[in-house]
Amino acid sequence: MQHLNEEQLVLHRYHDDGVDAVAAGQHLDACADCRAQFDTLCHVLALVDDLPVPQRGDDYGTEVWNHLRWRLGRRDRARVWQAFAAAAMIALVFFAGGLWWAKRHTPAPAGGTIATNPPRSPITSPQNTARDHDRILLVVVGDHLDSSERMLLELTNADASRGLDVTAERRRATELVSANRLYRRTAEQHGDARIATLLADLEPVLLELSHADDRLSPGEVASLQKRIDSKELLFKVRVVSAQAGGRQVPPPQPKGTNSL
Amino acid sequence: METSDATAIDRARGGDSDAFRQLVERHSQPVFRVAYRMTGNQHDADDVVQETFLRAYRTLDRFEERANFSTWLHRIAVNCSLDLLRARVRHDRHYGGDPEEAEMTGAAKSEAALQDRLLLSAELQVHVNKAMERLTGNERTAFVLRHFEGMPVEEIGRTLGIQVNAAKHTIFRAVRKLRESLEPFVRSKPCNT
Repeated sequence: MQHLNEEQLVLHRYHDDGVDAVAAGQHLDACADCRAQFDTLCHVLALVDDLPVPQRGDDYGTEVWNHLRWRLGRRDRARVWQAFAAAAMIALVFFAGGLWWAKRHTPAPAGGTIATNPPRSPITSPQNTARDHDRILLVVVGDHLDSSERMLLELTNADASRGLDVTAERRRATELVSANRLYRRTAEQHGDARIATLLADLEPVLLELSHADDRLSPGEVASLQKRIDSKELLFKVRVVSAQAGGRQVPPPQPKGTNSL
Repeated sequence: METSDATAIDRARGGDSDAFRQLVERHSQPVFRVAYRMTGNQHDADDVVQETFLRAYRTLDRFEERANFSTWLHRIAVNCSLDLLRARVRHDRHYGGDPEEAEMTGAAKSEAALQDRLLLSAELQVHVNKAMERLTGNERTAFVLRHFEGMPVEEIGRTLGIQVNAAKHTIFRAVRKLRESLEPFVRSKPCNT
């Protein structure tokens, strides 16, 4: 048998040489040069073996839990808020539907007559009610867009060439998809084309992520980033999200300058 | 999987936070060891432990009961460590971090942390640490998974998102770098392996 090369020695050390293991072992017994090489390799790896890991105290698990508990709690509160937002949204849908029904069934004033009814109060005028509804919709959607924005940022900031672990994001995306649908339909029914269009653009990205594997390949990351970039999705989400929160609308950013 | 883990997982899935606390307390130390070997830095390892349990909590419904909870957790820890290492590379690239300086800082931290652990001489520990720090993120991951965790090459490939052959060559490169750095320090006596 020929001398064992470096890679064969490594395979033999880790018992990864399969059917060649016996032959390699026999060669090592017979060849002093290869044996010396193999011994050196084993000793080098033994040095790494001996490298100690810093000790953590017996109560380390409790320390980890004490930090973690707070973060898990935040997630619980987020769920409560999501449920509250969903309930508020459903109430809004019913309210808007009732308004639409009432409007359709109110008889129009007779032509050529001077209105004798007192003018409507500005507070209850249809225009103001619609404006209030827009505002409520914007506020409710704002929280949803904040969550979506954070996720889009993580995706756009990822180094596509290395792939990406999206275990946590996948779950978040699954939660966001259903909320996104509800908000989009409400916005459509309410005639808010701007929010409806934004949510319609956002939905495929959320869907793609919610159906992805835990680990995205470089190609999948690049594809998602391209989709986000092509529709300027992150910027649009930021604008509406900022308006919902009463913040100043951010200036558009060139590609690759997103910050967390 | 230990019965006690299975019971705790069942209860945690049902919203029992005390059951999840038990899992955290039971598995924190081993997860820290994996994280430390991956990141080479105590603070980073602590962060990885936190993130690992957070991800585990969020994805507990997807854990298959026939699997080993510890293995599943270690895999999450490896992914968290990889994400952290990649984020660090991105950060350095963005903000012009000096890799030499980062290496020195990491070595100094590791050295300080290891002074009271005298399995090796302090000087040799520093050399081993530096040798490990020479490895790229993928090389370090592949090596730690094969050498310390005993993970098969196929699974290492899946974890890193690369082909089996590429995973194998990543391990070869890691071992070669370690050998180049540490060969002057080994004693010449026969190996029993």
